[in-house]
Amino acid sequence: MFSNHCRCINCITPPHILKKLLENSDSRIRDAALRTLLTTSRLRGERTIRGLLASAALVSSQGRRTISDCGNSISLPAATIGRTEEGPTSTDESVNRAFVGLGKTREFYKEALDRDSLDGNGMRLNGYVHYDASYNNAFWDGSEMIFGDGDDVLFTDFTKSLDVIAHELTHGVTEFTAGLRYHKQSGALNESISDVFGSLVKQWAATPKQTTDQADWLIGAEVFTPDINADALRSMKNPGKAYNNPTLGRDPQPDHMSKYVDMPDTDAGDHGGVHINSGIPNKAFYLTSIGIGGYAWQAPGQIWYAALQASTSTTDFQEFADTTYLKAGQMYGSQGAEQQAVLSAWKEVGIRVSGALALAGTTARMRRPMADISNGRDEDQADVARKIEQLTGQLATLSKQVANLRSKPH
Amino acid sequence: MKVILAQHGGQAAGINLNRPPKVIDSAALDEPKAAELKRLVAAANSAPSSAASSGKARDEMSYTITIQDQGRETVLSQSDTTMSADFAKLLAWLQRYPKN
Repeated sequence: MFSNHCRCINCITPPHILKKLLENSDSRIRDAALRTLLTTSRLRGERTIRGLLASAALVSSQGRRTISDCGNSISLPAATIGRTEEGPTSTDESVNRAFVGLGKTREFYKEALDRDSLDGNGMRLNGYVHYDASYNNAFWDGSEMIFGDGDDVLFTDFTKSLDVIAHELTHGVTEFTAGLRYHKQSGALNESISDVFGSLVKQWAATPKQTTDQADWLIGAEVFTPDINADALRSMKNPGKAYNNPTLGRDPQPDHMSKYVDMPDTDAGDHGGVHINSGIPNKAFYLTSIGIGGYAWQAPGQIWYAALQASTSTTDFQEFADTTYLKAGQMYGSQGAEQQAVLSAWKEVGIRVSGALALAGTTARMRRPMADISNGRDEDQADVARKIEQLTGQLATLSKQVANLRSKPH
Repeated sequence: MKVILAQHGGQAAGINLNRPPKVIDSAALDEPKAAELKRLVAAANSAPSSAASSGKARDEMSYTITIQDQGRETVLSQSDTTMSADFAKLLAWLQRYPKN
């Protein structure tokens, strides 16, 4: 009777709650939570294998780049090819900047995050420059990148900003991973993820590479004309302070949950302020990076990337904060400097990680060697840990077999 | 006839939020310009979006054009990835118009 009731949590209970239930003194509750975690792990494994098999059937395009010139039209089909992977350098600087920017972003994802292009399977990268006349923007249309030249009054060519290029491409990565809905908090998180990895690409591609204290943490610093007194479109270090002048107005980004801007979920309301409230998780990433130090694409970037992959379309700020904390513990050690930096950063922007102590305890137990696990209550966990290890081993074997299949010539 | 253009979203969404809409009063235009605007408005008004939104575009801009004429108000809203050719022509005309 009781166990039937507990099985219901298979469908709806988030993993962090399940992990907390592992600590419950009632063995029946622990059993139910453990069964659920095992089932979830198995399903996740099946999904991974299905994904690998599906991708094995595809031939990777190795992230090959093509930049096309819209000639100040809004018609993409009418655009002419400006540069391809094999072709010569263009005489058009916008074409070359977009080409190099796409390449730097592709290299960053490969070398820093071991990701093969946006979809993880070598997806082609197509960019369009000179879109429309005096177009003050760059955007991701769902499969390709579009750049405007700017009106030469407020804005200049958007290809001049590497972090803007990487920002747009990262929308593709987000779409292929969490698929964060572009509304309210999940939308602001979507925008923040693009700013985070946009900035990381710039820091990684700089010569020499930039540490957290050397980076400017600005997004789009290069897109304004010299006449405009503005630092950038957004500042991750100081949200709300990227610009403040009579022409542009004042940067409306908040840097703390107490200043969260509740906007309508409409076009005019920026879909609930997705470009506005992104300032809050942006600041959390900046603080995490400064707290950890070194290169931000290492521990901080790895933690955020793992959290992105573990997120869903409806993940909000709180859930993402919890996930980054959990991932930091799993990847770098419970209560370690990295996990503490994550905890402190979210707290500083007004988000308390849910059940931080419980999560930390769970992470610590999951990292304990098997020999340390004794009897009684821990026997359940030892059993689960063994089963998880077995499953992980089977999954690794299957993954290798699929990878071997993929590497064989067609 | 008054035509009001508001632009939303995009990489500069925060800046666009702060900027007032552009208002064009056809009464202040010379006759050929006023006639051209009237023709563009009529064409855009009868043209549906060229494509349904995929919901996958990010950082695209959207545009709201409000037409106030003889006590009636018509609102046209389209985006970079969905706008019709006639809407695009009206938008380009309004964006080129120098006065606020």
